[in-house]
Formats: sequence, C-alpha cells, structure tokens
Amino acid sequence: MELTDREYVERSRDGHPEDFGRLVDRYQKPLFSYLAARVGNLPQAEEAAQESFVRAFLSLKKLRKPESFYSWLLGIAGRVAKEQFRLELHQRRDCEVAQTMTTDNDDAKDYPLEEAIAVLPENHRQVIVLRYYEGLSCQEVATRLDMPIGTVTKTLSRAYALLRQELKARERVEQTVNQIQKP
Amino acid sequence: MNCAECRDNLAALAEALLDCNESLQCRAHLETCADCRAEYEAITRLQQRLTARGEAAAAVRIVEPVMRRIHREEYKPERENIMSRLLKYRWGFGLGAAACAAVILSVILLTTPRAEARAVEALAKGAQAAAKLNSIHLRCQLRTVPFDNFAAIMPDQGFVNIELWKQFTPELKWRVEKPGRVALMDGKSTLLFDRHANFAMRLDQPSASAFDTEWLHKMADLSQTLNDELQAIQAHGWPVTVTTESQGGRAKTVVTVEAKSNLPEDDYLKNKFFETTDTRRVYVFDEESELLESVNVTMHGSAGDVSVLEINQIDYNTLIDASVFSIELPADVSWMQKQQSTPGDEKYSNMTAEQSARTFFEACGRGDWNEAGKFTMFPLTDPIKQYLDGLELVSLGTPFGSAVNQDQFVPYNIKFKNGDVKKFNLALRKDEQTGRWLVDGGL
Repeated sequence: MELTDREYVERSRDGHPEDFGRLVDRYQKPLFSYLAARVGNLPQAEEAAQESFVRAFLSLKKLRKPESFYSWLLGIAGRVAKEQFRLELHQRRDCEVAQTMTTDNDDAKDYPLEEAIAVLPENHRQVIVLRYYEGLSCQEVATRLDMPIGTVTKTLSRAYALLRQELKARERVEQTVNQIQKP
Repeated sequence: MNCAECRDNLAALAEALLDCNESLQCRAHLETCADCRAEYEAITRLQQRLTARGEAAAAVRIVEPVMRRIHREEYKPERENIMSRLLKYRWGFGLGAAACAAVILSVILLTTPRAEARAVEALAKGAQAAAKLNSIHLRCQLRTVPFDNFAAIMPDQGFVNIELWKQFTPELKWRVEKPGRVALMDGKSTLLFDRHANFAMRLDQPSASAFDTEWLHKMADLSQTLNDELQAIQAHGWPVTVTTESQGGRAKTVVTVEAKSNLPEDDYLKNKFFETTDTRRVYVFDEESELLESVNVTMHGSAGDVSVLEINQIDYNTLIDASVFSIELPADVSWMQKQQSTPGDEKYSNMTAEQSARTFFEACGRGDWNEAGKFTMFPLTDPIKQYLDGLELVSLGTPFGSAVNQDQFVPYNIKFKNGDVKKFNLALRKDEQTGRWLVDGGL
C-alpha cells in the first residue's frame, strides 16, 4: 500500500531508513528531470540527484513539514545544482562550461514545471507523478492508488488547473523581474 | 452539453476515457465554443510538456545507489568537530576538490605530527596535479574472476587484468574491460556486455559510472579519490605514513593509508567489495611531477593479508582512440531486459526470498526456463542453462541480510547433473518494478 510522504518521512526518522527508499522511488524521476534542466548534463544531473537524496536523508530531522518533503527536496537539489555549476566554472575557467550548462532544448529548460508540481496538494502531485513520470495509464494509476478511475481523471483535471495557475503566476513574476532588471 | 459539463470532461477526453457518446457530445461542444476549445488546447499543451519531461527521465533508476550511499553514511562515525563540519557538504569536482584538499591540508598541517602531515601533503599535491585532466587510462590487476561483476574481490582467486579508459573532455566517455566483461559509455548510452554468458544490456542514457564500475571510476577521478582519502584519514583517524624512495633514479613519495570499512566482522559482505573491506592502500607519487604513478591495495582478511589490487600503469592526458568507446557485439547476443509486471505477478511478488530461491532452483532442475526467468535480472542464455539444467535442490537455509544493502542471502545446497555439489548463498534483490525477489549473485 502507498503511504503518504509524511508517513514515509516519519518512518525513516523512526529508524526505518529503507522507507526513505520509497521516497527516492517516488521522486527520483521528477527530481532528475528538474536537475537535468538546471545543469543541462545528464550524468551530472544523475549524480546531483543522488547527492540531493543523500543530503535530504542526512537532514531529515530538520524537515519541519514532512508533508512538504518534495518541495524541500527541490530546495536541496537547487543548492546542489548551484554548487556543481560553481565548481565546474572554477574547474574549467572558460566559456566551455557555459556552453555545456545551457541548452537550446526548450523542454530541458522547463524546470519551473517541477517546481509547480512541488506546490500541488499531495494527492494531486502523486497522480501527476505516476501518470507522467512513471508513465502509468489512468487505469494503472487507479489500481496503484486504489481509487476509482473517475477520481483519477477528476484529480488530474484539478491538478492541471492548479499547475496552469501556478505556472502563470511564475511567468508573471519572471516578467516583472525582467522589467525591473532592464537598464 | 453546456460549458461546465464540457470542462468537467476535458481531462477524460484528453485521456480518451470518455465513452463514444460523451466524447461526441464533448467534441461537438468544442466545435462551437471558443472558450472551452482554448481550455482544451491549454490542457493538451500542458500534457505534452509533462509527457516530454516524464519521457526524458524514464530510464532513471537511482534508488539502489542512493540507498547504498545512505547505508555507508550510516556507518560513518559522527564527529562534531571543525573537520566534520567542513566535510559534511562536500562536493568534489576537479579543482573544487583540490581546493577543498588545500583547505584540509592547512588545518592538518597545524594539528598532526610531521610524518602524517607529509603524507597528507603528498595526497593533496597529487589531488591538485590531477585536477585538470582531459583523459586517464588505468591498467590494473584485481583478484577476482574474469566474468563476474566488476566490483567483486575474491582473495582466493588469481589476478585478472582490468582496464579503464576515461575521457573527460570534450565529452565524458569511458570503457571498463576485463577478459569476460566490458562496460562502456559512448556519450549517448551505456552498455554492458558479458562475453562469458553472451548477454548485453543497454541504458539509453549516458552515465558517470554503471554496472558495478563505480569503485574504478572513483580511482580514476584522482583528485576526488585523494581528497576522499584526506577526509577519511581525518574523520576516522586512519593511520597514515610516508616514506621517500628512489625508483629508476627518480624520487618517489610513498603514502600508506590503513583504511577501515567500519562494517562488523560478521557481516556477510565484509571483504567482498572495496567499500566493505579493511585495506592497506599504498600510493606512489613521482616527486617531480607530483602525479600518482601506482597504487597497491592489500586486504586484511580473516586468512591474513592478501594483495588484491595493483594499479601499475596510469597514463594521463593521452589521446584515446574513438574506437575504444564502441564495441561490436555478436549477432546472437541476448539482450537483458528489465523485468516487466505481468498478469498473475502477485503469485511471485508475494513470495519470500526463500520461496523465490526454492522456486528458481526447482524450475532450473526441471528445465522450466520461463519460470526460472521470472527470478533473474539477466537472460538465461545457453551457457547459463547448461550450467543450471537438471540441478537438484538438496536444501535451503534461513535467509539473512547485510548492513550494506537490502539484499537477502539464501544459503543453498545444490547438486549438479554431473554430481558436483555446491553450497553457497544466493543473493536476491527486491525488484522495484515487479516486486519480485530477483537473483543478484551467488550462483
């Protein structure tokens, strides 16, 4: 049976580190996808994803809202990506890094999508992750979460609305920041 | 159908989950309503974005390496001193690692006896010298068997040649090879080929390391490895010594580190892999170039000290021919597929490790390769079938675990068709995809 993020976090803290593996399993793909977009290099994204999970495990006691595990994990991953970028720049000291750390692929730059997924309510997030990152059909999601298929489509529908709302809000913020930064 | 009813159904329409009648009604409404049509298009655009993101991450499987690292971290003693705080959030990339080494060096020089400080200085200089590599080629000898996985150490076996070619720039590529097995990453995908069993596996993405070659990649990432040694020396209080020798008329600095795995002596995986072994590591640096020239690793096992790894040639920044990062596979190679969930899987996923081992061996005994194949990560090729066909399961023991990973080990006693008897432990790993216990080693 699938437990909530809160339950897995609490079990991991209570001396069952194997339950942290369930959280890794649940979020490895969205986290990798987020980091691939941030660092633009797949082996480094995988390395950074591993490092992020390990740091999250070591800091699990500090997580004040266990239900916000994924959002907190993305925060850690963002810092790991920045450290990687900084160290790469130091290592190579030329523009080569800038070329490898960015990409022309628009899909790969789409990391705000994973940030928006992080702020969804947990049941909505779970359905999105299973449907798109685990590649399950709606029927398979319904079986996995033991819910009627109609509930899955309704949850998806609501999740799409929330995601679009969140992405629009982020775009507005970005536009405002860009305007402020214009000389 | 009105706008509210239509919008309620848009997600189901996009998933093709409406029945024929509902779908027709919904589409008819979309034909006439620009607002609902715009809403539907926005949903399908978002679906496309999500699908693209999901597909890009489809091959990622990092549960096992993350949990291995977590288990290792759990065995590290906690030391709340300035050094452990410095080391807690370490990252090691080239000069970054060397810079970190320099910080540690400055602290250690102030706090440790002179001999130890000299050893640490040699390691730190080696880390710095190796920080801007374009490529590296290691030739090693490891006590193991030619066809088993790349990480297994077998002190009672002879030496097997093992080589690593690694290109860092302009694009990361690598190849690890021993007589029975090759793993390579060509910048786009990662491939394993087992010559002995004639099977191959491809990951459709590049990787920094894979197929149990992580330890050798760590060796090749010298600045990181030496930096790790510096950290471990300080964090765990590992004894370290340094001597100066003359070899071939050149002065060499020889640093010896006594490393502890921190695993209990009675753990089954103790002394099976580098990370689980108590070792003496001898690093030889050229004093002029400050580069590492060779490494010898001696295992402190229950049967005494045994030299298990010798890295006797390290080539820095040589041009590696592009053909090294490709391989021609035999036409009849069997491809290793990830186990897929199939109807009736509950029968297997509900089995205990012991029941899985029993079902596997019994299926091999009667040559039921379809059933036996439910429990393997690798294809049952002809050489493997010949090895297992007709075996008789004499007995199974009580399964046990290790602190290193989440595998279960099932003691077994089997009798082969030719009368040979084998008593060993079958390693079984819980498969994330199917929930089955799959054979991970010990055959």
